[in-house]
Amino acid sequence: MVHLLQILINGLASGAVYALFALGYTLVFSVLGVINFAHGAVFTIGGYLTYLLIGGAVGANGLLAGLQLPLALPFWLALGLAGAGSALVSLVVEAVAFRPLRKRQAEPLLSLISSLGAGVVLVNLVQLLMGAESYSIPSSTLAGLPAALNLGGAQIRTVQLLLLLVATLLLVLLTLWLEGSRGGKALQAVSEDPVTARLLGIDSGAMIRLAFAVSGFLAGVAGGLVGLSVSIAGPYFGIGYGLKGLGVLVLGGLGSVPGAVLGGLIVGLAEALVPSDFSGYKDGVAFAILFLVLLLRPRGLLGKPLASKV
Amino acid sequence: MRDLSLLVQMGFGALLALSVYLPLRCGQLSLATPGFYAIGGYVAALLSTRWPALSGGGASYPLTSLALELLLAALVAGAVALVLGRPVLQLRGIYLAIATIALVEILRVLNLNMAWSGGAVGIFGIPQPFDGPAGYALATGVLLALTCWLCSRLEAMRLGRAMSAIREDELAARCMGIPTADVKLIAFVLSAVIAALTGVLAAHFLNTWNARQGSFDASITTLAFVVFGGSRIWLGPVLGGLVITALPELLRPVGDLRLILFGLVILVGPILFPQGVITPEGLARIRAAVRRA
Repeated sequence: MVHLLQILINGLASGAVYALFALGYTLVFSVLGVINFAHGAVFTIGGYLTYLLIGGAVGANGLLAGLQLPLALPFWLALGLAGAGSALVSLVVEAVAFRPLRKRQAEPLLSLISSLGAGVVLVNLVQLLMGAESYSIPSSTLAGLPAALNLGGAQIRTVQLLLLLVATLLLVLLTLWLEGSRGGKALQAVSEDPVTARLLGIDSGAMIRLAFAVSGFLAGVAGGLVGLSVSIAGPYFGIGYGLKGLGVLVLGGLGSVPGAVLGGLIVGLAEALVPSDFSGYKDGVAFAILFLVLLLRPRGLLGKPLASKV
Repeated sequence: MRDLSLLVQMGFGALLALSVYLPLRCGQLSLATPGFYAIGGYVAALLSTRWPALSGGGASYPLTSLALELLLAALVAGAVALVLGRPVLQLRGIYLAIATIALVEILRVLNLNMAWSGGAVGIFGIPQPFDGPAGYALATGVLLALTCWLCSRLEAMRLGRAMSAIREDELAARCMGIPTADVKLIAFVLSAVIAALTGVLAAHFLNTWNARQGSFDASITTLAFVVFGGSRIWLGPVLGGLVITALPELLRPVGDLRLILFGLVILVGPILFPQGVITPEGLARIRAAVRRA
């Protein structure tokens, strides 16, 4: 039973990070109807920015070898700033890979490819600057907090609790913003029907940029959190997350905010339940669930019914 | 030597691009190609390293055994595609794409962990039916030529027209009496067989096979071949596969920047050529210009 609590917390914590990640996809998908394949690269950048801002030094292999920022920000501040930096990168991706195609009303498939190209450029830029080695954010950045808590006999890593806390906080804030603010409502209006939204005086271009910025912020924060709880395993580590995030997104239902959260939690818990003897199969769990759900319920768990053309 | 090896890889790229192109020709975005490529490679790797009778007594691996591998790989991949195709092809658009990515990923994780596939290390010492890259270039060239012939014949066949009709409007095609589900399934199975045959040649060519050979990156790269080259006529994917496979090698002189430039090409390609580089209209214009000259 004690063991179960540990599994539960671990599963919820990684599930919450998946949810943060998938929410970024969902925001962009709901306004544009396309998947942003550069999202994983923005996540990578969030991880690296967090590492640099807490004063981490660059290894020997990149162009920036030996660089160390002359500041060592507390983790929270670094995480927030890394999120902001990632939001900027996400805006650049929008301007370079999405806007030119949107202006021509090109097929959605094309922006999928061009965003993938943007992702390849970003990931290799990181590799060029910082080398291919892995970095880890030392947990000593969380000064004053114990490494693990003893909850009724279960050892819970503090980092896991923090992950869960931060992710939940962001999810709640995002929902409040989407449901309660003018900006959030306008965003929803654009995703419901861009033409009517424009008639009502909503600047859809600005809303799309807003969706990219928020999505980039969420990805960046998720990157920093994973960097803290596991490590930044080289520039490509966002790609694996990006792929799993895609699974989470479709599992919950494309474009659905509660769906992304539910999908993230299901995948996180399912992965935590994989016995350690079979840990090699962990990465397949999300896709096995996704595959089964798609066959039984093609629109995902909480997705809207698929529109059919008649 | 190195140039010939690059040529072989370019041929593989073109074949995989055609494998993505066939389902896309009837409007189905399937990214399962690397999964079937991996299946073909494992069939070849397992048969040639674990079944001594196939190796014969000679110095090089007999071509008849290679032919047997090709046949078996085609059968295995075709059967898998036939079984999975029905339920999967009921999905549409991006859902189909992601379900096929899920298939590739499940297969990769299984191959990475199963004992029979050699786990993370993979299978080594796959015997060589040819002395050097020249033989592989020839074999790949033949397979590519046959696949191109099949694809070009399609444009004139009932099946090919049915595929185009489904691409334009699936509902209308069904109303005209086209068995849309069957046509989509045929395209999916053909795509799987082409990818598996390519996998057999690639496993021998690379001499080793492991779970990295069929991954998500490969799904997207092969899709980029098709989008870059153009998905409306078979020449497009062939060109896209040849050029984009060669690109990182051609960009080698720029050193560390080459993957960044590669990304830039994929980023800018769809913006400059929304229809792909090769379109039926473009080809017609070129033909007219040649005639005039």
